[in-house]
Parts: sequence; C-alpha cells; structure tokens
Amino acid sequence: MAYRMWEMLERAHSGPFMEEAEFLNKRIPKAMRAVINKYGVKYDPARPVPADDALADAVWQAACEFFLEVGVYNQDTHRVMHFTQEELDEALYCTPSSYRVGEGRDSRVFGHRDVEDSRPPFVIFSPDITYDEVDHLQACLAYLKEPLLDGICSPLLDEFQGRPIQSRTPWEIGGSLEHAMNLRHAARLAGVPGVFLVAVGTAETDVAQVAVSDPTWGVRPSDGRLVGSITEMMTNNAMLNKGAHYQMYGSFSGNLTGAIYGAYAGGAEGTAILEAAYHLKGLLVHGCQFQQNFPFHLKYGSNTGREMLWVVSLYSQAVARNTHLVQDSNGFANAGPGTDMLLYETAAHALTSTVSGANLWESAPARNKHHNHGTPLEARLGAEVGHAVARQAMTRAQANEIVNALLAKYEEKIPQAPVGQAFQELYDVRKAVPKTEYLDLYKRVKEELHELGIEFLY
Amino acid sequence: MERVDTLKTAMVDGDEEACAALARQLIAQGADLKAVIDKLAAEMEEVGRRFERMDIFLPEVLLAAGGMTAVMGVFAPQLEKGAIRERKSTVVVGTARGDMHQIGKDLVALFLGIAGYRVVDLGTDVDPLDFIHRAEEAQAEIIAISSLMTTTMPGATEVLELLKDKGLRDTVKVMVGGAPTSQAWADMIGADGWAEDSSGAVELVKELIGRA
Repeated sequence: MAYRMWEMLERAHSGPFMEEAEFLNKRIPKAMRAVINKYGVKYDPARPVPADDALADAVWQAACEFFLEVGVYNQDTHRVMHFTQEELDEALYCTPSSYRVGEGRDSRVFGHRDVEDSRPPFVIFSPDITYDEVDHLQACLAYLKEPLLDGICSPLLDEFQGRPIQSRTPWEIGGSLEHAMNLRHAARLAGVPGVFLVAVGTAETDVAQVAVSDPTWGVRPSDGRLVGSITEMMTNNAMLNKGAHYQMYGSFSGNLTGAIYGAYAGGAEGTAILEAAYHLKGLLVHGCQFQQNFPFHLKYGSNTGREMLWVVSLYSQAVARNTHLVQDSNGFANAGPGTDMLLYETAAHALTSTVSGANLWESAPARNKHHNHGTPLEARLGAEVGHAVARQAMTRAQANEIVNALLAKYEEKIPQAPVGQAFQELYDVRKAVPKTEYLDLYKRVKEELHELGIEFLY
Repeated sequence: MERVDTLKTAMVDGDEEACAALARQLIAQGADLKAVIDKLAAEMEEVGRRFERMDIFLPEVLLAAGGMTAVMGVFAPQLEKGAIRERKSTVVVGTARGDMHQIGKDLVALFLGIAGYRVVDLGTDVDPLDFIHRAEEAQAEIIAISSLMTTTMPGATEVLELLKDKGLRDTVKVMVGGAPTSQAWADMIGADGWAEDSSGAVELVKELIGRA
C-alpha cells in the first residue's frame, strides 16, 4: 500500500519554506543532538552487537521524535514536508508485515523479522557495482545460479554500445533497457524466470525507471524498485516521481537510504537514529513496502567496521522490536573479491544483521567503487551465515562474541584494505561459475567461521 | 591573549553570540586583528585535523565554522579599512549534471571556506555550462566538480569539452573528485587535478593556485 499517497505528495509543494543550508546545517544537527541527549543513546565499542532492548527502544523513540521534528526537505521546492504523530501511527499500523514477491514457483515471501528470529532472512544478492558491458549477461547469470538467492539487484552497466552511460541522456535509457533485458534473459537461462528482481540499478533517473517498466521484457509489477535518499532527510521531485510511478505500476518499492557516519547526524548514535528515521520517510513520503539500509562510514564508504556494525545492529533491532516493517541490511565491505578480509567482513555484516532482525542484501565489496569488483561467492557466504545463525537461534550475545573475533581479524586493515580481484579473474565467465582458487578460499573461511560457532547447514 | 583564548573556545563551541561579542571587545581594545585571525585559523586547521581523524564529526565542524563566520562578520569592516586580510582565490564548486549526492561537495566547499578561499557553491546537478558562466562571473581560478556515480562522471568531461570549445580552457583550472573517480580518469579526461577527499581538495587547490 501507499499511505495517503497524494496527500503526502501535496506537502512537497505546500509545506513551509526553508533554505536548504538552514535545514542541513542547523536543523538536523540540532534536532539530532537533542534526541541523543534526551534518550541517552551511547555507543559502546565493546558491543558491536548490543543486546540491550531498552537501548534499541530508545533509538526507535528518538527516531520518531527526530522525524516528526525535522520533517523531509524537498530540494526542488525548498519546502519541508511535516507529519503528525497520528499519521505516523496510522501508517505503521496499516502497513503489511510481508509481501509475496516475484512470480509463480519462483515467488517468495519477503517479510518482517524479529530480533533473534529463527526464520532465515530473505536474501537479495547484489554486487552494487558496474561491470563490462560484454560480461554483463554472464555476471547476472552467475548471481542467478545461487541457490539461496531470494531476489537480485544485479550487476550494473556504465556503458551502452561502447559509449559511457550518462545520466539523463538517451544512453541512460538504452543502457537501462539493455540491463533489464539481460537480467530477464539471465533469469530464464538460470531456470528462475519468475525470480524477484530489484531492478534496474542502471536507471538512475525517474525517466529511465519509467522506461524499463514492461511486464514482458522489463520490470514487472511483481518486481522491486528503489527510491534513493540522497542527503540527510531530503528528497526531490525526481524521487517523488519514481515513488509515484512505482505505486501506480504496482511494483514493490524499496526506500534506499544510507545514513552517513560522521556527516550531518554526527557519530554512531546519530547515524543509528537517522537510519531508523529513514524507515518513516520511506513509509510516509515514498509509500515504500520495504526499507533497504546501507549506512556507511564517511571516510571509508563501508559498514563493516566496529562502529558501523553497532549502527547496523541497533537500528535493525529498533525497527524489528517496535514495528512490523520489512527491512533489509546492505553490506558494504572495505576489501575486494578474492581476499579473506572480504569474506570475514561479509560474515560479520550478515551475522550482525540477521540476529538483529534484518533481512540481507549482500554485498558491495571494495568500498563500492571498483568496476567489475563483486562476485556471487562472497554474497553466498553472507547468505549461508544468515541462514545458519537464524536456524541455530543464535542470540545477540553469542553473535557479539563472534563478531568481535572477526573484527580482530580485519579491523586494523580497514584503512589499507586490499582492492582484490575482478569478477573476470575469479570466475569462469563463460560458464558463470567460480574458479577453484576462490572456492578454496571460501571453503577455508567457512571452516574458520564454523570453528567460531556458526553451525552451517551444509 | 586571555580574551583570544576565550574567543577560540567560543568559536569551537559554535557560540556565535559570544564570538561576536568577544570580537567587538577585541576591536575596542585595539587588538592586532591579523594576529587574532591567524590564531583562529590555526584552531580551525586543528578542527579540520580532528575531523580527518573522525575524532569529531561534521556538526562540530559546522559549529566552529559558524563561530569563525560570526567573528569575521564583526571584523570585516575593520579589515576592509586597513586592507589587512589578503583575499585568496575563488573556487566554483558543484556536483556534475544529474548528480544529487552532495556530502562530498559540501565538505570540499566547507573546508575551502575554512582555508580562506572564496567559494561559489552551485549546489547539486549543475549544468556544465553553468560551471563556466559562474566561474567567469566570479573570476574564479578553479572549477571543482564532484561525481558520486559513474553515470554522472561524463558531466565533468562535458565541462572540459565546453571550455575548449569556448576557447577558455587556459583561463581556469578544473579539478574533479568523488567516490568512483580516480587520478587515472582525471588524467584521461584532461582535468588539472584529482582529489580523493576534502582535505586532499584543499591541498590540490593550493597546488593549482601556486601553479597558475
């Protein structure tokens, strides 16, 4: 459902005027400081996976209060959208706790999870990075071969017919169509024609997103789409256009947000509260059915460091305990494919997220900035960790011990994390399967994780 | 001296009213304003270093920058009278066409301002020709373009191509940055420099101005 869609959108044009700098530089930091102090939220580096229910509830209360105080800013109209407590309560009550996504025998239930839930997470596989145009179909196919994949947000394109794709040009439309067609084709070749696609990431603009909506060759109503938040508590008309299109087309809409550690919301406490508040923005402004979270460190662009895992765990718990919203947790690692560090980071992120009540979106390696640097194998490990720790009903306290052990293996290396190798070096591209060398590394790390207490199912 | 230390504290705390009041008192007692500004600038550099280490976060930097602005607002008429403050170069900053990600651009603009440069912030999603027109208007020495997406990186290339087409390439330096960019890409498109982050951007501006 989309909560009172047109009444909400009207506020983007009729809300009170405010200068953007006033909103960002003054209103957000001031409101955030106030709720952090009021609710006594405090980062504890010894507990990257905190097990304090009262703290998680405090983060949720702080997020609601912050959201109602600050509102959402439309950069195009310079107006602030405000909401009432009653609207917030109504929207949270009325939103479903699960959805059947995808089609036919490949459809799955994508739903809310609780903290320490024994139900396995819904796992969306995604490298979140661009690939060579000539290898794009095979890269999609490699991901779609993964057995634990419930949905895919596939490899991206940055060239169309050899020319760089530029936002708001015909090449963006062309590249987006090529992406959609490759992905749909790959799904058929992998034998999962009805699989849930969160598509298509190459279409950055509203125009390109509209262009790929087609039930035969493109994005279907049974698929997922994303509305991205760009800057703290901000939106713009293009984002509102995307949201409106998704609602009317019938797609499952995801609110893609990344609270930035170190930016306008401050440190770990503010980052956790902001990410929790983004769930409300997605629900009320964009009418989203799920929340796609990727908080990240300003300096490293990742979320597998100690302070970021605390952020991930805490807002996930806050949302899981206080709502029935559907949320997933997007890993952003420092190291690149083919390194043990990436596998440790992915395991830590998947473990933290799963026991904290989130679904999984794994994973963006190498700080999400290196072309071709992402493979299905590290995402497979994340999915297997998620399924294992859910099935064994792992507690947050147990998870905290394992995550601390994993952090000891990689946290000092974060500033100088290895970029790793490209998909083409680690995979047999024609067969769309991993090469022995990377499989051996994956098996070795999986054995280490087992020794730390993760009871893999196979 | 004691009053200057109090002013530094007020500046770091972002107490703009106290900053303005202390600045007025310093003028009234005939203080050496250039020496005061130098001390405040040194303190702001320390704020920048603490931010670089993530000992503090952006809100604290904004508070200190607001305090500094309050002081300079009071000092400005005196400085103009005595021509005390040297005016540094102008930098036009913005994100490439189609790019709405502003945190990197915001940090570059903030730290260039703290370093004393005049910054013309064009915001996000800037038309390539606007970069050029605004640089001409402001007589800017440098255009700084940020891209956070591969699909908006060509927007920076367009600025360079338009500068060449208009015969203006030699009149302004162009620097680029943003998560998916690199020195190799900057070299490939013919930019004058590339910076990985905001502190790198300030250093690059110093270098480019020196090279001009």
